[in-house]
Amino acid sequence: MRLTPSLVALTLTVSPLAAVAGLVTPDAVVAHYADIAAAAYDDSVTTAQALQQAVAALVAQPSEATLGAARSAWTAARVPYQQTEAFRFGNPIVDDWEGRVNAWPLDEGLIDYVAEGTPSAEDNELAQLNVIANPDLKIGADTLDAATITPDTIRALHEAGGIEANVASGYHAIEFLLWGQDLNGTGPGAGNRPHTDYARGADCTGGNCDRRAQYLTAATDLLVADLQEMAANWAPGGAAREAVTENPQAGLNAMLTGMGSLSYGEQAGERMKLGLMLNDPEEEHDCFSDQTHLSHYYDGLGIRNVYLGSYARPDGSTVEGPSLSALVAARDPAVDQALRADLDATMAALGKLRDTAEGGMAYDQMLAPGNDAGNAAITAGIDALVAQTRNIERAVAVLGLDKIAFEGSDSLDNPDAVFQ
Amino acid sequence: MARIALILTLLASPAAADVAQAVDVITPAYAALADSAADLARAAAADCAPEGLRPAFQAAWDDWARIDFLRLGPVETDGRALAMAFWPDPKGSGLRAQQAALAEGAAVASDPDRFARASVAMRGFAGLERLLYPSPLQGAEAELCLLTRATAADLARMGADIAAEWPAHAELLTHPGEGNAAYLTPTEARQALYTQLVTGLSALEKNRLGRPLGTFDKPRPDRAEAVAAGRSLRNVVQSLTGMRDLALALHSPAPQTQAAFDRALDLAERLDDPVLAGVADPQRRLKVEILQQAVNSAKVAVETEIGPALGVSAGFNAQDGD
Repeated sequence: MRLTPSLVALTLTVSPLAAVAGLVTPDAVVAHYADIAAAAYDDSVTTAQALQQAVAALVAQPSEATLGAARSAWTAARVPYQQTEAFRFGNPIVDDWEGRVNAWPLDEGLIDYVAEGTPSAEDNELAQLNVIANPDLKIGADTLDAATITPDTIRALHEAGGIEANVASGYHAIEFLLWGQDLNGTGPGAGNRPHTDYARGADCTGGNCDRRAQYLTAATDLLVADLQEMAANWAPGGAAREAVTENPQAGLNAMLTGMGSLSYGEQAGERMKLGLMLNDPEEEHDCFSDQTHLSHYYDGLGIRNVYLGSYARPDGSTVEGPSLSALVAARDPAVDQALRADLDATMAALGKLRDTAEGGMAYDQMLAPGNDAGNAAITAGIDALVAQTRNIERAVAVLGLDKIAFEGSDSLDNPDAVFQ
Repeated sequence: MARIALILTLLASPAAADVAQAVDVITPAYAALADSAADLARAAAADCAPEGLRPAFQAAWDDWARIDFLRLGPVETDGRALAMAFWPDPKGSGLRAQQAALAEGAAVASDPDRFARASVAMRGFAGLERLLYPSPLQGAEAELCLLTRATAADLARMGADIAAEWPAHAELLTHPGEGNAAYLTPTEARQALYTQLVTGLSALEKNRLGRPLGTFDKPRPDRAEAVAAGRSLRNVVQSLTGMRDLALALHSPAPQTQAAFDRALDLAERLDDPVLAGVADPQRRLKVEILQQAVNSAKVAVETEIGPALGVSAGFNAQDGD
């Protein structure tokens, strides 16, 4: 569940912010926020299309080189996408859609072969469905013809049986198909799927290589289509852009809600603290590729982008404009300064985490019980994210965001929440 | 008996409710937990046979369930809140970790420091429940005994640490201002406690009741909490009681809130369904659904009555996200 933050300073005199700031208005800030979203989703589309081409090359000619190129393309595609996660929690249009592209964790046995004893979600009867090996599927009382695996097949399987762990589509399904299971626990090494899992004829390993290729192709096509849909939502006239620009106060609230919810409950809590406290690589976000450190880093960066109104694109250019930071600074320079310092401290901690992983200690190794240095690197990231949440709440208060509007939107989200 | 003390306080002075009064609900709750967890550890050290330990185990979990909604201060250190009773555990992490420990002769049990750093899923009440009640856990009796003693001792250690460290956080809550990075203003302290209430009620509705309810077509009685120990509903009652005490200490009078909590508690206490197995039976299911709606009404009452009175609404919390 999600709560809308709005610590309201009821006594605050609401004067036109433009007059105070002299420069920056809420209108301009939310419009620029939508511009950054549009750019980041556009970049997500472009890099996913590059992945699509790399997958086509892998399927056409499976080799170490084409598999390596597809993995590199996946890694590159995650860079802009992870930075869009800061748009998720404040914007229902994004949040409702997000499960199709970035759902996690998954019971990967739904998709393909897995090692014996692979843990799965409780009473998930489909955890070992293995679509790639089975053209005729039985899902509860229904049968699904999967003679050819198409985007529609994947859509039908996604969250099958009402179980969230049945993730059929998105980045992590593709990650599994490119890397395979990481069976090294908290030891060194990532997933090690051989390129021959896509080989034709007698060279095929893992069985059903043609169907595996169909699945990978369809899942990548679907990812591109889903990302295009979201990019359109943020383009001029798009629904997500309209939602934040037509009521700038609600737009500012979406910005801060996205920053705070991702920082605290999602990233610091669900994605980092839980895995650390369980010492369990099953709880690692990018568990097949061992690239969790990059996911965390770019999530953190996306949060800072929203506040600073600045986004560095993969092509080297930067989208820059009127920032939330300026708006807060006009009201309370101390809160702005503290929040900027927090966001920088988070990036320093997540940067160190990334460097530690790139230096040879993968994220799942950091999770091992007794790995004090690894545990500390993750804890530093968690602490920094939690700390910045306090100042995000203070920024909400400083801006005196409209409490009534939030309660209104809350009851729209949850029509049962009417006091009787 | 924090509740009696509270009621007397309220009768004496109906306006005396704020952060300090809320702290006065929390402090004795943690003291009670420290005591009962210590009793449990002593009993386990004397005799680790499961049957004999169950009463002390139930009593200690009663004390934790009463205050487990509170996720600020010392319970947030070292993942203690997660370790005290790890649930839900959808991938069976606790069972897997305990079984792995038993496969190594329960060596982790002989070193309290090492045990304290073991997976939160294998520790606490959830871990002990698998050792004291029927569970898929398999091991030699001597090793199960080692694990039982270590888990009880670890619970007692956490209970003692939480109680010992709480006053420092209480000091922050009651003395906001310059030099207090956690709470700059009284409003921030009120908001922090208020957020815990709203979040706790949501979690109760969504997890403790919502998970077993599942959907009408697919109820999930196996997903109830603490089924083996027979205390799924007991945890609901204890948690509601603790949250009611905190709500009325934070702001009073709050007649809508009090009425909503009383109604939910009355429904829960009259529900003759200790592990919520009735969710799978259309007739009995309705009663659990009605209880769930009553918990939701209590949350709405807190939000509409206490939130505006304190001038706050809920802040970010650990349940934001998926």
